[in-house]
Amino acid sequence: MTALHLRRAGMALAAILLLIWSLGPVYWALATSLMKPTDIAASPVNLVPPSITFEHYAKLVGGLFGQPDETGIWRDFLRALGNSLVLAGGATIATTAIAAIAAYAAVRLEFPGRNLVFYMIVATLAVPGYTVLIPLYRMMVGLGWVDTYGGIILIYISAYLPLSMWLMRSVYESLPLSIEEAAFLDGAGRLYTMVRIVMPLALPGLIAAAILTFLGAWGQFAVPLVFAPTAATKPLTVLIPEFATKNYVDYGLINAAGVFAMIPPALVVIFLNRFLLSGLMAGTGK
Amino acid sequence: MSTPDAALAPPFAAEVPKPGLLQRVSSDAGLGIVLALPVVILMAAFVFVPVALTAWDSFHRVTPMLPGEPFVGFRNYTRMLSDPAVRNAWWNTWFYVAAAVSLELVLGLGAALLLNGMKHGRRWLLAAVILPWALPPVVNAMVWSWIYNPHYGLLNGLLMRFGLIGEARVWMNDQASALICVTLVHVWRMMPLNAVILLAALQTIPRELYEAAEVDGAGRLKTLRLVTLPLISGALGIALTQSTITAFNIFDEAWILAKASALTRPIQGQIYMTAFQDLKFSYGMAMSITVMLVSILVSSVYVLRIYRETRFD
Repeated sequence: MTALHLRRAGMALAAILLLIWSLGPVYWALATSLMKPTDIAASPVNLVPPSITFEHYAKLVGGLFGQPDETGIWRDFLRALGNSLVLAGGATIATTAIAAIAAYAAVRLEFPGRNLVFYMIVATLAVPGYTVLIPLYRMMVGLGWVDTYGGIILIYISAYLPLSMWLMRSVYESLPLSIEEAAFLDGAGRLYTMVRIVMPLALPGLIAAAILTFLGAWGQFAVPLVFAPTAATKPLTVLIPEFATKNYVDYGLINAAGVFAMIPPALVVIFLNRFLLSGLMAGTGK
Repeated sequence: MSTPDAALAPPFAAEVPKPGLLQRVSSDAGLGIVLALPVVILMAAFVFVPVALTAWDSFHRVTPMLPGEPFVGFRNYTRMLSDPAVRNAWWNTWFYVAAAVSLELVLGLGAALLLNGMKHGRRWLLAAVILPWALPPVVNAMVWSWIYNPHYGLLNGLLMRFGLIGEARVWMNDQASALICVTLVHVWRMMPLNAVILLAALQTIPRELYEAAEVDGAGRLKTLRLVTLPLISGALGIALTQSTITAFNIFDEAWILAKASALTRPIQGQIYMTAFQDLKFSYGMAMSITVMLVSILVSSVYVLRIYRETRFD
């Protein structure tokens, strides 16, 4: 009885510690972003904002609502936010669509060399993405694709496609063949069957592949650091660290910008966690 | 003689779909090739050819500052051995690998065991645990950099409030604490993935096995060692492999926390400096190839070992 109680108390304590370890830094970023500069620089440290202010957020997006702003930070910030959305969104849609079709071909269509193609592509998961940055840079400079959405999205697709194909293959393999055979008997063609019959059944897998690609592309740093040198394509992950390289580091501003960049992944974790977990388990566990 | 037979040949007529089937098989192959070809071209252009080029160029002298690309043999590789900056970066990288992999494995296993044993709220705790992995690594590093801030940071603030240190420490100033600080940020981000991988494996272990171990009088630790760990050895291998490859390629965290500082610069930081600041492309490529080979080699050692151990069990 007491041993059981002790064990329960131990587990509860461990759960609380794990929760603080995981969410503590996120809370601290949020709290800092809502504090006045004087409260941020206070000693002893303020664990809870003594008073709430939105001034840091106003610097980032206030210009959008017609607020006068002499720093002009909001233009850069909104530009980078837009770039992040275009790059991650474009990479997600393209990667998921390509993986959905190519993995279907690898599972259901007999063609010479299909296993070789599939395993070669999946084997690139073992190649660290950084390995190819230098030759890619020379190639992209030659093609004039540096600092273009298309060039960066193509790099993202090549980086995240292997995992998505691996995932989609296990999804298709788990679907019963009989459904497709029934569709053929009814006179449906391959493409029609793939798009109208198989894809809807594979939807949870497609969502999982899309989530993994989106999170990867949204958080990418090294690729845009090299390939997105100007405001034309520079995403949040490259812009935000630049806030700190000035002589004066505005921690309220940095944390407010960081909170913005955390929102999409946090929404995914809160609302699509089921798909995320199944994707992670299928993507790494089989 | 054969005419009546031919006229009365419904069984053969029933075979009419046969060419249709053949056609479908061959059109399947055609469709398969059409659907797979763009992917093959993309991966060739963005991965296979660049990897081959990296290997090729690493035996040449390639830099935009000097004309020509002469063959230099292994000079780019031998140069690494005597380059103090590269040696220092490797030393830092090995520290990250050893510290991050062991912490991620132990903490990940602990979190997975805890989550597996929970009756209420597992879904919510799991969501909280996975969150750091989902966030942009750069943003994580900036938040932690603010936590480590010597003047107003949370770490010094908490330690001073609880009287654990007398005055504020500058965490990023000496190499030991700076390396640990970078490692912690990396572990914060990558441990959740291990927890998920191991939790998935734990959930496949039938309850009866634990009950049987309890009946046999095995204690908690003994059950863990003799029942749980052997049964999840495959997942442990995957967790080890992914932790090792990501730790070998650590870049974002070190770069945000300390820029190019030699105290924390990992090998990927060294490559970035060599290629994109000093513009010594082929020298950086030789380093890239080395990192790739070392990280694949180290992880295949685990995979083989785990594979052998599970087979003997």
